[in-house]
Amino acid sequence: MNLWKLEWLRMTRSSKGIALVGVFVFFGIIGPLSAAYIGEILEQFGGGIEITFPEPTAADGITQYVGNVQQIGLLVLVMIAAGALTMESRYEMAVFLRTRVRNARQLLAPRFVVVAAFGVVAYAVGLLVAWYETAVLIESPDVGAMAAIFALGATYLIFAVAVVAFAGTHLKKVLPSVMLTLGILLIVPIFGLFPPVAEWLPSHLLGSSNDLLRGGEVADYWRSFVVTVGMTFVLLAASVRGLGRREL
Amino acid sequence: MIQTVGLSKKYGSKFAVNDVSINVAPGSVYGLVGPNGAGKTTILGILAGLREATSGSFDLGVPASRVAVLPDTPQFEPWLTAREVIQLGKQLTAPDSPLDRIDEVLSDAGLADVAEQRVGGFSRGMLQRLGLAATVVGDPEVLLLDEPSSALDPSGRRDVLDLVGQLRGKATVMFSSHILGDVQEVCDAVGIVQDGRLLYEGSIEGLLVGKAGLTYQVRVRSGTEAVVSGLSGLSWVESAQSPSPGLVRVIVTDPAAAETALVPMLATMDVPVISITPQTADLEDVFLELTT
Repeated sequence: MNLWKLEWLRMTRSSKGIALVGVFVFFGIIGPLSAAYIGEILEQFGGGIEITFPEPTAADGITQYVGNVQQIGLLVLVMIAAGALTMESRYEMAVFLRTRVRNARQLLAPRFVVVAAFGVVAYAVGLLVAWYETAVLIESPDVGAMAAIFALGATYLIFAVAVVAFAGTHLKKVLPSVMLTLGILLIVPIFGLFPPVAEWLPSHLLGSSNDLLRGGEVADYWRSFVVTVGMTFVLLAASVRGLGRREL
Repeated sequence: MIQTVGLSKKYGSKFAVNDVSINVAPGSVYGLVGPNGAGKTTILGILAGLREATSGSFDLGVPASRVAVLPDTPQFEPWLTAREVIQLGKQLTAPDSPLDRIDEVLSDAGLADVAEQRVGGFSRGMLQRLGLAATVVGDPEVLLLDEPSSALDPSGRRDVLDLVGQLRGKATVMFSSHILGDVQEVCDAVGIVQDGRLLYEGSIEGLLVGKAGLTYQVRVRSGTEAVVSGLSGLSWVESAQSPSPGLVRVIVTDPAAAETALVPMLATMDVPVISITPQTADLEDVFLELTT
């Protein structure tokens, strides 16, 4: 038993990991399904009114999935991550661990990596389900675009977990950590209202799936990718520093 | 050897710990005693490296990796088994120690039968014993135990005190408590803290010396007033009072004079004496005397 296995058990024994993957898979099923049958679904509630939609495309199916996981999926990931990364939420356990590790990094690394890995795996599994279903119900999406969508989406999720780590090492309770994280994630896109800034922000990655599947260039996202990776490292460094300095 | 010099911790304008200098002999069990809010946990937190002292210094005499801390109400992830908690404690503090050590501490803590059970269903007493087992599994040289026996039933307290007692000579133990009986039973030395200040430090015997035998309880079948008036005013009597009919409490200034003269004095009063009992002070009396 070590700190890495402890975090693995946190995700598996407490069903958090299964719940996380389950949510992403659910949206992987629902996203393309709703994109493919949106016309029929709305007609059922239309009272005889005929609604004509354009033929669904692969971009519709995948974007529907990505859009859902960027909202509800991300919220679930943030809540699960806050449970693991809010170090002082269980004071006695925090005392037990902090007085037995050499430094804050030793304590933070397994929690961050395991939660982020579960988030990325859940996103990947959901994306694969959405890909398969889109291919069956609509059309096959471009492989290169799908690889980029996975990479950029995973980068944003890892960034979000880093925000949780920052909040969790500076606040004592899980709920405030969740609220601070969501606040940061919601405020960052506001800066995107200034066009020159928008493509540098992590939130720019969120719109990549639709654009890439409609012929957009991956190169349009390198700036926000670099900034997101950089901010992830900065947040983690601040988290380690904050945890190390924080009194219990 | 645990030593603090002028240790202080200030929150805002209030001192939680104020100029505390403590000396704990190696291999001894030291009781840090004081009422709730006296500063005991803060002192232990500073020594454990969980809080930073505002001023002063301390030396635990060993590297931080050889120090183990037990909070007052140990809690662990409820989905871990007792064995996994001990395994984690061992891995973090003494990864190279033999695996037998895990079974040994589980057995010592009386948890061998529940080793494979998840701790989410454990009682507070079991968690306290598990916490102590996870604390000693790495064979630390210094143990800082915060109220290890608080809020336990008599059986749980007994188990924890026995475990603490067994550490004497193997490690230096500092444990805080407001249960004076526990301290008197298991500690070699005691530090009494109130409002962040150290009021007394030394052996328990040293604390009680001079207190034992200063008070006598005289029980009579009748003539209480006669005894009170007869003893009051004598040169070796500080006071003689009757808290209840048939009982006279005599506080003496000279125990030797009392041993010689008290019985003859009572004989002259012609009252039926049931008993004369020297009242020995215990830690609680002295604690109350120091802190009130």
